[in-house]
Amino acid sequence: MIELRDVRKWIQNGARRVDILKGISLTIPAEQFVAVVGASGSGKSTLLGLMAGLDTPSSGEIWLDGTPIHNLVESELAVVRGRKIGFVFQSYQLIPTLTALENVLLPYELNVEGNGLSKARQLLGEVGLQERVDHYPIQLSGGEQQRVALARAFVVDPPIVMADEPTGNLDSTNGRLVLDLLLDRNKRAGTTLVLVTHDPDVAHEADRRIVLKDGLVVEDTLPGSPKSLVQSEEKNG
Amino acid sequence: MASRMLSWSRAASIGWRDLKSAPGKFAFVVASVAIGVAALVGVRGLSDSFRSTLIGQARSLMAGDLSARIFHEPTPDELGKVAGVLKHNGNSIRATWVTETISMAWMQKAQTPLLVSLKAVDPSEYPYYGTAELDPEMPLSHALNGDSAVVADEFLIRMNAQVGDSLRLGQKTFKIAAVLKQEPDRITAGAGLGPRVMISEASLKESRLIAPGSRASERLLVKLPDVLPKGMTATRETAQVRSQLEAALPDAQVMDFREGNPALSRGLDNATAILSLICLVAMVLGAIGVAMAMHAHLEQRVDTLAILKAMGADSTDLLRIFVLQTLGLGLAGALLGVVAGVVVMMALPSAFGNLLPVHTVLQVPWKSGLAGMGTGVLTTLLFCLPPLLDVRSVRPVLVLRRMVEQGAGGFKGWAERWLRRWPQLLLSAALVVPLVAIAWALSDSAVVGLSFGVAFAVALVALLVLAALTLLALRLFLTLTRLRLPGSLRHGLANLYRPGNQSAPVLAALGTGVMLILAVYLIQAEILRDLRLTASPKLPNIFLIDVRSEEVAGVKNFFAHRPDVTQQLDLLPVVMGRFISIDNKPLEQFKGQHFPIRMLESAELSWADSAPEGIKVSQGAWWKSSNDAAIAISEGLASRLHLHVGTQMELETGGTDRMLKVGAIYKPDGQHLSARVEFFVPSGLIKSQPATWYGGVHIEPSKVGAMERAFFAAYPTITVINVADVMERIESVVDQITFVVRLLAGFSILAGLMILASSIASTRFRRMREAVVLKTLGATRMRIVRTFSVEFSVLGLLAGAVGVVFANLLTRVLLHTLEIGFHVEWGATFIALFGTAVLATATGWIASYRILGLRPLEVLREE
Repeated sequence: MIELRDVRKWIQNGARRVDILKGISLTIPAEQFVAVVGASGSGKSTLLGLMAGLDTPSSGEIWLDGTPIHNLVESELAVVRGRKIGFVFQSYQLIPTLTALENVLLPYELNVEGNGLSKARQLLGEVGLQERVDHYPIQLSGGEQQRVALARAFVVDPPIVMADEPTGNLDSTNGRLVLDLLLDRNKRAGTTLVLVTHDPDVAHEADRRIVLKDGLVVEDTLPGSPKSLVQSEEKNG
Repeated sequence: MASRMLSWSRAASIGWRDLKSAPGKFAFVVASVAIGVAALVGVRGLSDSFRSTLIGQARSLMAGDLSARIFHEPTPDELGKVAGVLKHNGNSIRATWVTETISMAWMQKAQTPLLVSLKAVDPSEYPYYGTAELDPEMPLSHALNGDSAVVADEFLIRMNAQVGDSLRLGQKTFKIAAVLKQEPDRITAGAGLGPRVMISEASLKESRLIAPGSRASERLLVKLPDVLPKGMTATRETAQVRSQLEAALPDAQVMDFREGNPALSRGLDNATAILSLICLVAMVLGAIGVAMAMHAHLEQRVDTLAILKAMGADSTDLLRIFVLQTLGLGLAGALLGVVAGVVVMMALPSAFGNLLPVHTVLQVPWKSGLAGMGTGVLTTLLFCLPPLLDVRSVRPVLVLRRMVEQGAGGFKGWAERWLRRWPQLLLSAALVVPLVAIAWALSDSAVVGLSFGVAFAVALVALLVLAALTLLALRLFLTLTRLRLPGSLRHGLANLYRPGNQSAPVLAALGTGVMLILAVYLIQAEILRDLRLTASPKLPNIFLIDVRSEEVAGVKNFFAHRPDVTQQLDLLPVVMGRFISIDNKPLEQFKGQHFPIRMLESAELSWADSAPEGIKVSQGAWWKSSNDAAIAISEGLASRLHLHVGTQMELETGGTDRMLKVGAIYKPDGQHLSARVEFFVPSGLIKSQPATWYGGVHIEPSKVGAMERAFFAAYPTITVINVADVMERIESVVDQITFVVRLLAGFSILAGLMILASSIASTRFRRMREAVVLKTLGATRMRIVRTFSVEFSVLGLLAGAVGVVFANLLTRVLLHTLEIGFHVEWGATFIALFGTAVLATATGWIASYRILGLRPLEVLREE
């Protein structure tokens, strides 16, 4: 479970303070597929980064499975990132100097004892790239690179997968394929999936839709409910 | 929260995988290390070989490592003590006695006998270094076999004799076996009277010339073992045996090979100093190259670092991976550098033939190689650690967006940014310790190592501060003039301040390089100038002994009109004197106290009312009036006799006793006539007494023989000592020192320039992106060329200015410690200043010209 309590994020450039997130509180239960949507600059990627422990909030608390990660030291945060979260990026973020297999193997080597080679091969097979294991990222198409990134995100069996516009750079066929792989993982392995997207069709498939605007949650729709959680909370509050 | 740590083996495998996948990108780092190490190995190896060759030359001027001269036949007690010294130092130390005296030589052909300077040696031992050259050519042991003698050319001239004739010395007749063209220790041997005749010690005994009370000097020549005991250096061994000899022979004048010829010793010392400096500079330049390369390398890998962090790696893991990778790169570069350095060492002697006096380097220089290897790996690691620590500040959120948070503005923000980098600051400060250790190891001197390390650290900090201040001033100028400047100039200047740009470190690195290179040039120029001054080719190569006062005018006239005289005659009056007491303590009381009393009982004095040519006052001052009760003493003798400025010495000359105060202690250059005596007094004290004169003149070497014949015809009683051959040898050694120092300095400068070039080239990747963006916005190639040229040349000019200022300061300080004067070399200074700008611009473009031809999409797609 992921829990955010009044999380704020700002950056200081000289005398100027730029507020990115202005106080976000929400709870994401395990195994839920959440789509985070909003216009450019609304704070989606920053929110995702904070939940994944890639950055620390300026104020507020973030709890991951009962562990507060907002005040962890770097080495402890690294353990959280390595064991609990798989990450998929819009621009793939593969290491250009490593082959597809080596890219997938990397999180295993960083975080798990033992040999992860067979697991990496198996995952590459599952995403349909068994013939491309020794190719470098530059030798792969965009769709193939994103599938390598998916295999990499799954290799340590993280309970949470976070994806930042994973289909944003792909054509509709490849986008669909990637989304199906993510959903399959969510359903089959019970992985929590938090996905940032601009695409309404993708958001529509989610269990829950969180809409951000100017650093605030303006809509939070639970599965099967036409009502916004934010609106109902405001009314209740 | 449980923590885990990446194992070393896994870190090594990740680092290796990263390394092998793109070897081209790492070639730059390896090349930087290799150039630095190659320069170090080449310079150190060559200078080691050169130093040993030079020491060999200096030893040959004494024919041994040490000599001890006494003016009486050694007593059984003294012989026993000497044998004790030799025994104490092991079997491989060797020693031989050389007897020098004057004697009359008779020949049947000549009407009158001739006073000769006789030297008796054991030809199976003498000389330990150098060779006695004979005509016809033959070994000395062969020539002095049985009843043979070898004689100087002057002897044959005077006696109108030839090889094969017989001569009689004492009660023995000798056959002249050969002409003695050159004896290695002619300068350090006693001057003597008359031409040289050399016989064996065995024949001397048979001639019965030496009897108790004879006026003979005995010189013990000592050769130290070629292979020294473990942990012993040649200098320490020499000093140890020297003090033992001084104890065994208290009356002896003991000298080691370094005193044989002061000009050569000084040349040797200065050459050693400059060569050590060149080694250190090569090392530091290499290290700067490595640090710059590693910085650029890490900068390009920021995205990879962020991805690794996003996948769970922490800073320790990344440090582990990159430290191992760096070590690997350092090792590869160091290996390559050692190979290249050895190739340079092997290639240079054959390329420069006889000009380079190094003929023993064709063996693999293990010591230099290992030193280069260790230094290469260590400096790579040490200089890379501060930039490596920057991985701590890479934020994993970079994988989501390139958000540049500058933090608070003003001084507070600046201070916060620096405080956050405290480990880098601490580590950089701690770098002084290993730097001192490496400098110590390279220069074999703790003092040199410490001064170099500390001076370098201070200079680097000062350079960084000056670089930052200069950039700040330029920024202020840019703010004030901004829109009034032409577009390319404004953009070029603004590029120096682009976020993430490393202008100050690049400026400091470039400035340090310029400082070191220019300092090497300036110091070698001054040292060579000084060396030329003390070993000038115009120094006397002919000495005249025993010129009577009434002959002085005629002798002057003789040389005044000869066209082959290249430096006019210099004359030195000599009066004999006897010291009675020192600080009111009679001389007899000094007996048995390691005191050369004989030198004081029969002392040669001269007069001069100002310091003569070739003399440098090191303590006190020369007297003002010609009647002062003062005396000046040479530094070597003062130290041996424990005399100092203010010591009272009672002197008797011509029947008059005088109490004199030591007013000046001086250092003779060993090359001028003034070095022939150890004491000077004011003219008023002894000028009226009968004097004999020494003369020194420089004659064209090829004309010496003809001059000697003409001079003998005019002045048959004056002895001529010809040291032209020796002087030619000294000149040739000085030429060799000059050549080697210039060659190695040039080599170091070239290596430095290549490293500096690579520092500039390391910023290529940043520029590539910028050029593409400019193109996308419609900039022409010419506009890009202008903009980048402004940036390169301003960077070069600023670095040149900073480097030039510090080079002159550093040179001034170092030359002061070497007791050499400093002159501002305006030419070199301006060339360094503008040369750096040209070099920076040219290198910038050599490394970046490809970016002009890049299509924007190529680069943007790779983003």
